[in-house]
Amino acid sequence: MIIRGGIVYDPANGIYGDEMDLFIDKGRMVESAKGEEIDARGLLVMPGGVDAHSHIAGKKVNTGRIMRPDDARLGTQPRTAVCRPSTGYTVPNCYAMGYRYARMGYTTAFEAATPILEARHTHEELEEIPIIDKGALTLFGNNWQVMECVRDKDLSKLAAYVAWGLRAARGYGVKIVNPGGGEAWGFGTNVKGVNDAVPNFDVTPAEIIRGLAEANEMLRLPHSIHLHFNNLGKPGNYTTAIETLDMLKDIKPSRMRQVVHVAHMQFSAYGGTSWRDFESKAPAIADYFNGHSHATMDMGQLLFGSATTMTADAPLEYGNARLTHNKWSNHDIELEESSGVVPMAYFRKMLVNAVQWAIGLELALLVKDPWKVLLTTDHPNGSPFVNYPEVITLLMSRPKREAEMATLHDQVPKRTTLAGIEREMDWTDIAIMTRAAPARILGLEDKGHLGPGADGDVSIYDLRPEEVDTSQDHALVKKSLATAKYTIKGGVVVSKEGQILATPPGRTFWVDAAVPQPEADRVMVDLEEKFARYYSVQMANYAVQDAYLPHGKAILAGLSISRGVA
Amino acid sequence: MRNITIAQRSAFTISVEAENISPDKFAPLTLSQIKSLAVWQGNRQRTLSDLFVIEGDDAPAKAEELTIRLSGDFSQVKRIAEGMTAGVVLAEGSVGMHAGNNMKGGLLSIAGNADDWLAREMRGGKVVVMGNAGNYLGGGYRGEKCGMRGGEIEVRGSAGAYLGEHLCGGSIRILGDAGDFPGAANQGGTIFIGGSAYLPGAEMSKGTITVKGEAKVLPSFQRLEIVQVDGLAFQKYAGDNVDNGKGELLVGVGSS
Amino acid sequence: MSEAIMIRDAVCSFCGCLCDDINVEVEDGKVSRVRHACRLGSSKIMGHGRIQSPMIRKDGVLVAASFSEAYERAAQILLAASKPLLYGWASTSCEAAKKGILLAEEVGGVLDSTATVCHGPSVIGIEEKGLPGATLGQVKNRADTIVFWGCNPAEAHPRHSLRYSSNSSGKFTPQGREGRKIIVVDVRETRTSKNADKFMRIVPGSDYEVISALRMLIAGKGEILPDVIGGVKKVDLADIAATLKSARFGAIFFGLGITHSRGRYKNIDNALSLVAELNSHTKFVIMPMRGHYNVGGIGQVLAWSSGYPMSVDFTRGAPYFNPGETAACDLLAKRDVDAALIIAADAVSNFPHATAEGLASIPVIQIDPYENPTTILSDVVIPCAIAGVEVEGTAYRMDGLALRLRKLVDSSLPSDEEILTGILESVHRQRQRKANQGA
Repeated sequence: MIIRGGIVYDPANGIYGDEMDLFIDKGRMVESAKGEEIDARGLLVMPGGVDAHSHIAGKKVNTGRIMRPDDARLGTQPRTAVCRPSTGYTVPNCYAMGYRYARMGYTTAFEAATPILEARHTHEELEEIPIIDKGALTLFGNNWQVMECVRDKDLSKLAAYVAWGLRAARGYGVKIVNPGGGEAWGFGTNVKGVNDAVPNFDVTPAEIIRGLAEANEMLRLPHSIHLHFNNLGKPGNYTTAIETLDMLKDIKPSRMRQVVHVAHMQFSAYGGTSWRDFESKAPAIADYFNGHSHATMDMGQLLFGSATTMTADAPLEYGNARLTHNKWSNHDIELEESSGVVPMAYFRKMLVNAVQWAIGLELALLVKDPWKVLLTTDHPNGSPFVNYPEVITLLMSRPKREAEMATLHDQVPKRTTLAGIEREMDWTDIAIMTRAAPARILGLEDKGHLGPGADGDVSIYDLRPEEVDTSQDHALVKKSLATAKYTIKGGVVVSKEGQILATPPGRTFWVDAAVPQPEADRVMVDLEEKFARYYSVQMANYAVQDAYLPHGKAILAGLSISRGVA
Repeated sequence: MRNITIAQRSAFTISVEAENISPDKFAPLTLSQIKSLAVWQGNRQRTLSDLFVIEGDDAPAKAEELTIRLSGDFSQVKRIAEGMTAGVVLAEGSVGMHAGNNMKGGLLSIAGNADDWLAREMRGGKVVVMGNAGNYLGGGYRGEKCGMRGGEIEVRGSAGAYLGEHLCGGSIRILGDAGDFPGAANQGGTIFIGGSAYLPGAEMSKGTITVKGEAKVLPSFQRLEIVQVDGLAFQKYAGDNVDNGKGELLVGVGSS
Repeated sequence: MSEAIMIRDAVCSFCGCLCDDINVEVEDGKVSRVRHACRLGSSKIMGHGRIQSPMIRKDGVLVAASFSEAYERAAQILLAASKPLLYGWASTSCEAAKKGILLAEEVGGVLDSTATVCHGPSVIGIEEKGLPGATLGQVKNRADTIVFWGCNPAEAHPRHSLRYSSNSSGKFTPQGREGRKIIVVDVRETRTSKNADKFMRIVPGSDYEVISALRMLIAGKGEILPDVIGGVKKVDLADIAATLKSARFGAIFFGLGITHSRGRYKNIDNALSLVAELNSHTKFVIMPMRGHYNVGGIGQVLAWSSGYPMSVDFTRGAPYFNPGETAACDLLAKRDVDAALIIAADAVSNFPHATAEGLASIPVIQIDPYENPTTILSDVVIPCAIAGVEVEGTAYRMDGLALRLRKLVDSSLPSDEEILTGILESVHRQRQRKANQGA
């Protein structure tokens, strides 16, 4: 395949809006090729989009669907000769997820939180999502085995367990959500900060986070730890964020990447002592990121309208449900996690929501290096992923931001700094935040760029970067980004002008990290006891079987661990 | 005024979905265009004239000037007058489920009975039923916070269970009996039931429910004083106290 | 005679407990011994009388046919129908469910599961309030207070109490049954209630009022309650409320006694609120006692495929969901379907009489390992291998946990998934033939 004459943004390879031809052969980018020609003359061309943090598969996503037929009936489209039916807006069915990402020019998305015990379900759904490549991060932050290893300061055993857990879950990386708080929620309480002891386990959230970060680097995993802070969603929580980040700054990364990726930073950049004096602390957070290089974040941008909150932070969800008088699902997972799901609506005239909206934008605009900030809405917590074009135009156009701010609660300029921010992002920034950076942060070497050997994932938009004024013509930009002119996945045109043309199955990436046998054996002793006494399933039936990853792609990692490193 | 009459060609075994039978849909169309509007019978898409005889004035006219007469039995025809904003739909017999779904204005008058979900999520306008109504009269869709938000429904006969569930506004008047759980989760509408009712107002947080006949009242309602309304005595309750207790329930004391 | 093979930790595909510690001995390709399973599971795994061959009704009589003839006839029936119903799905694998959903989309039918006659009301309740739940191991390790409401696991889920609830032990529950308070709420005494610390007998149909009263007591608003609610004295209810509130970790398991008594989904709706409110005081979870082993699985697969967990109408190409209108019972009672495919469920025995009668007047395709009352009125009967005994696959436990079913012995019969694939292929062929003739 040849893509002719596009204006290409491929920041990972130092290409910033050059007119060039692209070639794809056997699903990969190559130096030259023959075959089908696509005329992209003058049009915006980027690598396929990569979403590093989205809730697209597994029990809590399906719980969202089951408790929200009111949402499922939105966005309904009948089946066609190519497509299965689509339903849902904040909680789309599996097919709609694949089609909607592809229509937008995205070719990869990662599910952000899966307990090991329920990973089989996650993979059942991932496999059912057409077109896009995917992976799932595995939850470790409230796991009994993890906490016991941390308590015993047995880092090599912890690393061996993480490797075992990733293999059992066919997971891609280490996700930590409200560490210790999920265990405390098992008896209806929470932890209040990183140094608050976890009930019954004699460890603190700080120790869990640090232990997992060290184990993560010991195993040389492609991705760093992926962290949802304690106290998320609470006024004044920015101090928890900075305190947590600061205790990780001395850890050496095992690869050319961050040591910690912060999930949906927006929800943890809050000042004030209550919702009454609630204010943005995005500038303080941005300062921290500007002054340090060990951490990256994704925005977790909030947009007005309907959302469905879903997270392993179960106590947060109970609070959400009580606060909004809304329906509440909760699901605690034995020995491992807890989680919750609550429908939500965000309003322009609600001060808290309007400030939250501004915080996400402030973060992205105030952090100078776009490689440190990913564009996400924490789908569907802040907003469904179909609204990414709205977020992009807000980042690219100050006039649009001003027009939006004029419709919000009038306290927003006092509680945030957004009104004074002049920065308007360009296509390079956007290509980094939606393509190059998520791939680099996840450690996906063949994604997010268009160099030889990269996956043949390309998106072409009906926009002329050399002509369009992204500051003024934001409506046109938004419309064009919502529906790619072409989305090419693995060298196949999967979507053209919004019409899905092909639905190849995507691959599922997972990480197979090797550990020395003696360490693996030491973990087995502990696990055998846990299965005999505590789990409600047998160990033989626990790990995800090969049958659930017919399109699985293992990425190898790991290291020989010598004892006493801790 | 423009008049159009629709009659069924023959009885159906499989129900028909006919959301296109509505003044808003008919208004800009000529008679022959109306005849070729789509209806569904199961998985078969048909035209209106495949299943119905359509007669009347040919020239397009505004919805508010349009009267659609349904001649004969339409009890197997669903979604009649869905989303109508103006005009009149007169059913001479009974109508199927979801008549007047999401109705916003105009008049839907039914001489016979109405099946379940009559005027689901109604926003405005008026619905009159001379016979009985089924379950979920003026109700909502599964999982939604609000059902009916505005408008007026009057049923001369009885209504089924869950009438006015999640009612957020408007008024419903039943001259006969209501089934189980009328006005459940009422958040601000008015319901009058001429006959009896079983557990009215469960989880109501606002609005008023009046039951003239007998009612089984939930234990979570607080019994207040006897009040007189239009010369009749009613026992007043505040409820539902499992919620904020700010709803008002009146139950007739005349007969008991 | 070959040596016995021992298969360890097999998953029992009988009830929603999905016990996964079953040891099975296989000799000469047959199950010779089953250990750890209850009598219900054991009897399923050991096997009994099976349908031997596909059958097609000809001149009023079911006669033996080949699989391909049966697929062709089934496809013919489905294609001729303007509203076919594809019903059952509770006792087969998720892999079969996926194919069934595709078939329902292809032929423009309505797909519904047996949830419609068991925990359908629970699903509607969950749509109103959400489900505060947990995995069963969470109850095993933490629960000191357990309520069984309108269910009788001692008879219906025999190993539930030992593996997951009353008599199980775990990290924070080392004393097992002795460390727990067990409360049973029912309209009659049962084997489960006899083992309880407290049995609260309520008047049939009064579940909703009793739950409302408990909510009032939990919220400290008991003073306005009448002296007796649902046949229970207020003081006794207050005692129960105090027990619930003082639990360290409480769990409510509920069954058909509450989902199918007067109030139906409103009862569940109210119980879900009760649990949500209890969480302001302590920790509480709630869970339906699912009957058939994979009735949860069809709900999960249907939800991620169509957006809805049951009663999905695909007739117009886009999924539409509205139980009360699109559930199997509603459609059959109104005679609003013109063909049915019944798989992994005995519809005739489980449906109300009027509904079952609706099946008698339309063409019926049955896919099942066993002959049952549905067979008698079927026009096509296709025998299948048994998932979890003869075929691998996925099933979801009553707490939503997915487990992989094992294959224990071989079968000469095709799996449900293969049969549905066969019918799908026949549907495509017949449609193609028709298109060619039309051209």
